[in-house]
Amino acid sequence: MKPQVAFFDFTSCEGCQLNKLNLENDLLDILKHVDIVEFREAMDDKADHYDIAFIEGSISSPSCVERIHDIRRRSDILVALGSCAVNGGINAMKNLHPIDEVRETVYGKDKYLFATLPAMAVSSVVKVDYEVRGCPMNQQDFLKLLIALVLGKQAPKYNSPVCVECKLKENECLYNRGMVCLGPVTRGGCDALCPSFGQFCTGCRGILSNPNLDGMLEIMTNHGISLDEAKKRMLLFNSNEVQL
Amino acid sequence: MKRLQDVKAKEARDLYYPTMCKVVGARQITDLEKWYELQMPAGQDLGHEPGQFVEVSAFGIGEAPISISSSPSKKGSFELCIRQVGTLTNVLKRYEQGDMIGIRGPFGKGYPIEKLLGKDILIIAGGIGLVPLRSLINYVLDNRKDFGRLIILYGAKSPAELLFKEEIAIWETRDDVELHITVDQPDESWTGNTGVITTLIPGLDLNLNTTIAAITGPPIMYKFVIMSLKSKQLNDDQIYVSLERRMKCGVGKCGHCQINGVYCCQDGPVFNYTDIKPLEEAL
Amino acid sequence: MECYSLLRADVPALIDHLGKFGEVVAPHRKGDVSYSFESVLDSSQVVLDYNRTLLPLKKLFLPPVEKLMDFSLKNMSFDPVELTTQPRVFFGVHSYEMQSILRLDHSMLSGNAESNYFKRRKNSRFVGISFEPDDFHFSESVGIAIEEMEGFDLFLNEIDDDFQLYVLSDNGRSLIQGFKQIRTVEAELSGKREFKKKIRYHYNRLPRIFQYAYKSKVWADVAEKCVGCGACTLTCPTCFCFDVTDEVSVTAEDGLRQRTWDSCMLSTFAEVAGGENFREKTINRTRHRLYRKFKYITDEEGLPWCVGCGRCTAFCPAGISLPDIVNELIQEDEKAQYHHTVRV
Repeated sequence: MKPQVAFFDFTSCEGCQLNKLNLENDLLDILKHVDIVEFREAMDDKADHYDIAFIEGSISSPSCVERIHDIRRRSDILVALGSCAVNGGINAMKNLHPIDEVRETVYGKDKYLFATLPAMAVSSVVKVDYEVRGCPMNQQDFLKLLIALVLGKQAPKYNSPVCVECKLKENECLYNRGMVCLGPVTRGGCDALCPSFGQFCTGCRGILSNPNLDGMLEIMTNHGISLDEAKKRMLLFNSNEVQL
Repeated sequence: MKRLQDVKAKEARDLYYPTMCKVVGARQITDLEKWYELQMPAGQDLGHEPGQFVEVSAFGIGEAPISISSSPSKKGSFELCIRQVGTLTNVLKRYEQGDMIGIRGPFGKGYPIEKLLGKDILIIAGGIGLVPLRSLINYVLDNRKDFGRLIILYGAKSPAELLFKEEIAIWETRDDVELHITVDQPDESWTGNTGVITTLIPGLDLNLNTTIAAITGPPIMYKFVIMSLKSKQLNDDQIYVSLERRMKCGVGKCGHCQINGVYCCQDGPVFNYTDIKPLEEAL
Repeated sequence: MECYSLLRADVPALIDHLGKFGEVVAPHRKGDVSYSFESVLDSSQVVLDYNRTLLPLKKLFLPPVEKLMDFSLKNMSFDPVELTTQPRVFFGVHSYEMQSILRLDHSMLSGNAESNYFKRRKNSRFVGISFEPDDFHFSESVGIAIEEMEGFDLFLNEIDDDFQLYVLSDNGRSLIQGFKQIRTVEAELSGKREFKKKIRYHYNRLPRIFQYAYKSKVWADVAEKCVGCGACTLTCPTCFCFDVTDEVSVTAEDGLRQRTWDSCMLSTFAEVAGGENFREKTINRTRHRLYRKFKYITDEEGLPWCVGCGRCTAFCPAGISLPDIVNELIQEDEKAQYHHTVRV
């Protein structure tokens, strides 16, 4: 029997799910390997057990916590999909401010009607077996993981910086074009998509393990932005991972 | 320096194509380790030296360097014993009799047998280190009269992790093998030595002029074992070590296995201790 | 030496003429301020004055990503890649770049000679060109003059805005056979071009510096600035380390094995399956990089394995300068020598 696969979304823009639907050319091949049993963006169906559950979005309210526990119980393999799920992503920027202030800004006088938590990675609440990084998650990365799971092969891990892929493609370094780019300390695996199109890396795939953050901040400030701005850029996708 | 004009066209070879070998035997021997017997096509022999390694290939997963565990004196097939620690080795555990496994090699330098002839051989194996050393042990046993004493020190974490138990039982019964085994964490049934492998060394009665020590084990082990051997007055050149490194190509190109200026896959994995003693990155 | 004069305006015609031999590869503009070696489609687009290309010429002999085989998971079998190579002329190559190819020859062809590299390397012709050193070039310090012509078949030396064309081999002679826009002149090797960046010692004194530099404090200073992006090694013309990976198609029935440039500056480079990392700290890796350039291979072959192209420095986002590191090691060594010298 083919593995039963489901997709769930939490606090996110659902862009990752749309990104999967854009895999038109490969979708039919994927369906040879798996049965998709739950996918809100595409169909309406429910099952009690999932071989693989893909989770999109961060955990940011008590009801999210309850729901993710329920999904974990019904799933053999749980995969965090996209920045929000992997490390809290952009949502985690709210964690840099007092939670009360955040609630007031968003809900005004109704703030007590809406329970909220700091935006968390799925892995801070339940065990996550695999992750697909990026904002939105990278399609090829997602396919590779799916194939790896079907073959019983370990998922590819990315702990080399974006710079590697940029260099292999012989892109002109964006620092040479007067931009400030997070490529040197950001996990690759995206085929250096943004720099290849002249857009500096914003760090959406997370910071490398054991990064030299002081060195990175020095690079950024040496290229014309303030320390404050440099820190902000580094925190954009990585508020939960980086202590500055 | 090698120049293009010095290279003849037939010397330049395809270095990265594996030879497909048939699995003729496969057995899980501990929770983590699986043993395989492989056959080259058309009855060829692998033609290795004890201590050499092969690159094992599983399509879709990749390659990993694996020590050859059988003696070259065994003809018609060769054996590997693979611990499941990485992506590739975890997939390899699914391979059974009849499956095909890609092999490149044998690679590197093994034990210099001609220098070992007539000598007492002291084997010091920690954990999975017994796998490559088994090749040397069985070579000595198959050519027993060419060597002096055969002393085997073998240490494992626990009795359950001891490899090649049936063979060990045979070695134990032979009066031309001096076998000492120790475990770090004994269970209730364990009656043998307890403690790390270095505890076996002080009690040894070695012939200083004729002993050659061959050490293989986890990285942490070497320094301590060598220290103990030095206190037994063994000279540096009487000690051989086999080192593990990341090896992608096996042919001295990819750079991963470098130990300072030395390529582990070409100049090793078996090194005389005098050759690696000056290398900061070796031990 | 056979020498001709060639007008700058006639260089595109020469490039077109070289096209009779085979594919011509030459420097082109790339991005805002960069250059790269590309196949010539329009000879007027070839750049004659450039500082350095982003990637070295190495990319055309040892490609950044190279398929090694196709395999079938269904049949557990593989198909070799049959590499066919066409004659190629590499035009507008700087002397340090040519020297890097000669060093790469040694790395790929000594010991086990690699067939794909050998095939790509055969049937290659090289046309050199002089250059004006910028703030990063220091090839003179590693023994490579701007007019070093070893390895070239032809060489264009810029003199007063036009060129002298030197014929350096029989292959070079046949490349320009029938090309009319040149006339015989007396060779005058220009010596006006000055290097701005220098290593303070002659390169044959560097192995001794490195012999004592292993525990230098300089490595920690470098590691403090280095973020480990790998740019230095990935753009280095004499680096050749690679990784091998398998890619499986979406059908999960077949795939390919490929090799990709790797870098010893990346933290995962020396990590084994069991988790042990044999060069875990940045300080170990920056040191390894320089020892690869000035000690390990140099001890055996007598040449620095750095050609002074300046790429590692020009493309380092943290501004780490290789010649500066070497100069600091020299300075440290001098201090130690001075300190231990008895003065009378």
